[in-house]
Amino acid sequence: MLAAKIAEVLNEPGCATNRAKSAKDRKKGCTKQLQPGAAAGGCAFDGAKIALQPIADAAHLVHGPIACEGNSWGSRNTGSSGPTLYRRGFTTDLDETDVVMGAERKLLAAVGEIVAKHRPPAVFVYATCVTSLIGEDLAAICKAACARYGLPVIPVEAPGFAGSKNLGNKLAGQALLDHVIGTVEPERTTPYDVNIIGEYNVAGELWQVKPLLERLGMRVLASISGDGRYRDVAASHRARAALLVCSRAMLNLARRMEERWGIPFLEGSFYGISDTSDALRGLARLLVERGAPPELLIRTEAVVAEEEARAWSRLTPFRERLAGKKVLLYTGGVKSWSVVSALQEMGMEVVGTSVRKSTEGDLARIHALMGEDAHTFDSLPGMKMYALLKEAKADILLAGGRSQFVALKAKVPFLDVNQERHHGYAGYEGMVALVREIDRAISSPVFREVRRPAPWEESYLAEALSPPGGERAPSPSPSSSKGP
Amino acid sequence: MANDFELPVKPVKDITPEEEARVAAWINTAEYREKNFARQALVINPAHACQPLGAELVAHGFEQTLPFVHGSQGCASYFRSTFNRHFREPAPAVCSAMTEDGAVFGGQNNLHEGLENACALYKPKMVAIFTSCMPEIIGDDLTAFIKNARQKGHLPKGMLAPYANTPSFNGSYIHGYDAMLQAILETLTEGKAVEGRCTGKLNFIAGFDANTGNYREYKRIFEAFGIPYTFLADISETLDSPLDGTYRIYPGGTKLEDAADSINGKATLTVAPYTTPKTYTWVKDNYAGAHASMSLPMGIARTDAFLMKLSEMFEKPVPESLKAERGRAVDAMTDSHQYMHGKRFAVYGDPDYLVGYVSFLLEMGAKPIHVLCSKGSKKLEKELRAILDASPYGKEGKIYMNKDLWHLRSLLVTERVDALIGDTHGKFAARDAGIPLFRFGFPIFDRVNKHRSPLIGYQGVINMVTEICNKFIDITDDTCDDRNFEMMR
Repeated sequence: MLAAKIAEVLNEPGCATNRAKSAKDRKKGCTKQLQPGAAAGGCAFDGAKIALQPIADAAHLVHGPIACEGNSWGSRNTGSSGPTLYRRGFTTDLDETDVVMGAERKLLAAVGEIVAKHRPPAVFVYATCVTSLIGEDLAAICKAACARYGLPVIPVEAPGFAGSKNLGNKLAGQALLDHVIGTVEPERTTPYDVNIIGEYNVAGELWQVKPLLERLGMRVLASISGDGRYRDVAASHRARAALLVCSRAMLNLARRMEERWGIPFLEGSFYGISDTSDALRGLARLLVERGAPPELLIRTEAVVAEEEARAWSRLTPFRERLAGKKVLLYTGGVKSWSVVSALQEMGMEVVGTSVRKSTEGDLARIHALMGEDAHTFDSLPGMKMYALLKEAKADILLAGGRSQFVALKAKVPFLDVNQERHHGYAGYEGMVALVREIDRAISSPVFREVRRPAPWEESYLAEALSPPGGERAPSPSPSSSKGP
Repeated sequence: MANDFELPVKPVKDITPEEEARVAAWINTAEYREKNFARQALVINPAHACQPLGAELVAHGFEQTLPFVHGSQGCASYFRSTFNRHFREPAPAVCSAMTEDGAVFGGQNNLHEGLENACALYKPKMVAIFTSCMPEIIGDDLTAFIKNARQKGHLPKGMLAPYANTPSFNGSYIHGYDAMLQAILETLTEGKAVEGRCTGKLNFIAGFDANTGNYREYKRIFEAFGIPYTFLADISETLDSPLDGTYRIYPGGTKLEDAADSINGKATLTVAPYTTPKTYTWVKDNYAGAHASMSLPMGIARTDAFLMKLSEMFEKPVPESLKAERGRAVDAMTDSHQYMHGKRFAVYGDPDYLVGYVSFLLEMGAKPIHVLCSKGSKKLEKELRAILDASPYGKEGKIYMNKDLWHLRSLLVTERVDALIGDTHGKFAARDAGIPLFRFGFPIFDRVNKHRSPLIGYQGVINMVTEICNKFIDITDDTCDDRNFEMMR
């Protein structure tokens, strides 16, 4: 069952690399085999939960031991403009007895509890390693619960051992395709209806983008899934076009929606000024191709011109301060290139970028931006990242929270661009915020303090004795202290 | 019906704004509380995490020790994030990344390949192996697997590899802490007992304590006494290392040779009776010297007892500096008791901490009203009841065992209190009840440097009194009208 699902979500007929593989290799899909003994990223369960939990009015129930929800509830910084039910950490908290006796009845009762006391429009039920291994029939229980309680109860079968976080994103997309999308008809439709796919509204990024679309006269029929509503997602098959913003995560969903309902989609990004403009233009073009009045294109150009001018005028003061600064980028997928172009727009130099969750398309874009001999790397264990920071003499590291503290040990300023970020960086507004935060991090006097030698260190004397003004001894850069 | 992909059209319940408002009001009622406490099949907003998280914390407390999660990869990633966010430090750990193949054929291949890769990459002196759910369900035999790993050369010669079974569907992280600590000590001390040898040192077990300030405080106390000590285990350098421009995978931890020699110690003391009962029982049976298990030194009386125990075990008088410190702590209490006296508190946390919170609150004349533990025992309930009953301020206190933070929310909104003591996870309930949350527990994701501020000992009393009373005074200043806004408070 699970194997068939995984094969299904990894089946990408449009991918040249995939077509070139033998039938056997193709079956394995494009996920890399995990390496035992290395530091690991999130699992498929984590990925599925990340992708669906932003549907804010639904209840999200984790069927498993305390591990999965106990370690993770409430830790995704995704915003809702209304309902807060998605924040509640529901779990069946399986114990030893449940493992031995099975917990299908418990799960049914748990759904009943949620329906009676929390009144969601729908319940998502997540499988975990334990429930998959002991053979809980999630699909059957959800079907029974659906019949008994009269609301959609959706099984999300992405146990942790199935694979990576990214695979989990895809399995979540598959769950939506199998059980949700197309099950409700929208009250009305317009030629301007679009879906946004793969935007999870972390730090409110959807809210930096949605007003732009609305200014163009577009209507977001469904956001899948940031600040999402169950009914909207269920009716999203009536959109006229879709924008896929995190291509690696939900490509399968966009592709299948195109196949099933003829919704054309565009892979785009809202990171960076020109990327944002390109995404808006592309989406407008798709809508016009599907019959929206062509004046939409003119309106789009007008908004783009106005927004770009406004953004650039706000960015100019930073450009002077940041030009020539070196950035090391350690993030995933679409951000690995879209942020590169954004930073290059500011005159900054990207000394390296990761490609760990990048698709073929992402890679091509990186090489187009940074040249064929671009410094790219896959996963970076702490020690290697540290060495790279020292060697590349980066002025700042842009990465996720788990890398943050390695950078700080190297006395290199850091900005969180992954899920623990506290500022949204999407759209024109977000680009200004990103640049402002980079500037704040680089210019923080704290780093001058931490790099300055203490009075009892030898290098302190050299600095103190150097003549004021004129020829000062270069202040120690982070790379001057001893390596590991 | 225009559904054109053969999907059954499902009934979607439309939740009207009126219905939403009704539920929002209803969950604050006594009627809902009753229904909430009758809940059986569901946990909402759990207050604890799983066993392997505790096992990983122990592993971080030993020199050049690599935590190794045997199981699927997500677990290790969650633990790493939890420690990263709490300590704001790197917390390197690896896993065997079991997949569906592992489920079918067992996890031996993953374990072997993982051990080989990890030892090559991270160059540990010791690999502390513990399990998450997957190998526990399929019944992996770690004893045999590790023996095979040695025979087949997957483990470098002489590599120490203690292991513990820490299934997540059982207990919480304190139980994983206990299991891993015992396994590590068994491995390190094997064959190290020397008849008649005494290191003259104190072996100290702090339990699952994620406050590095507490460790430094214990050390300061031992040093004031002049008592040489070995921490079992010491995370204070590993997870709170100085910023000197160098990243180290293993920046600290108890020296393995010291831990090995701990079996010949002069005395062993644990202040985490609910966290490390198994380790303590094992120590009693195997370690030389005196042994004692007592509660966390939180609050004046329990700190007094702690110092007297040290004094008795090492036949040393309580040092003048600590006597003076006690004087300052009780002075701080008298200076500020009026801000806490009679204030009603809800508290939740791990058992050893709960005992500490309740004792401290009673000393200050505050009333613990709701005392909640998400994984508690009859024994804990009995002890807490006895502590509450011994004080006139404890009479109203009710104890709730094995309840979650959604239960706590019901308590807070139906039976009002002035403040909540817990950890970051309590912030939703505290906000809904409109009361301050004091983050003394684990984890703390949303405040800075809290893990550096000790809560144990006399200094801990001063810190807690300061934080709590000033918060109440802040609230007075923020909410009083102009005529009551005073310079003096």
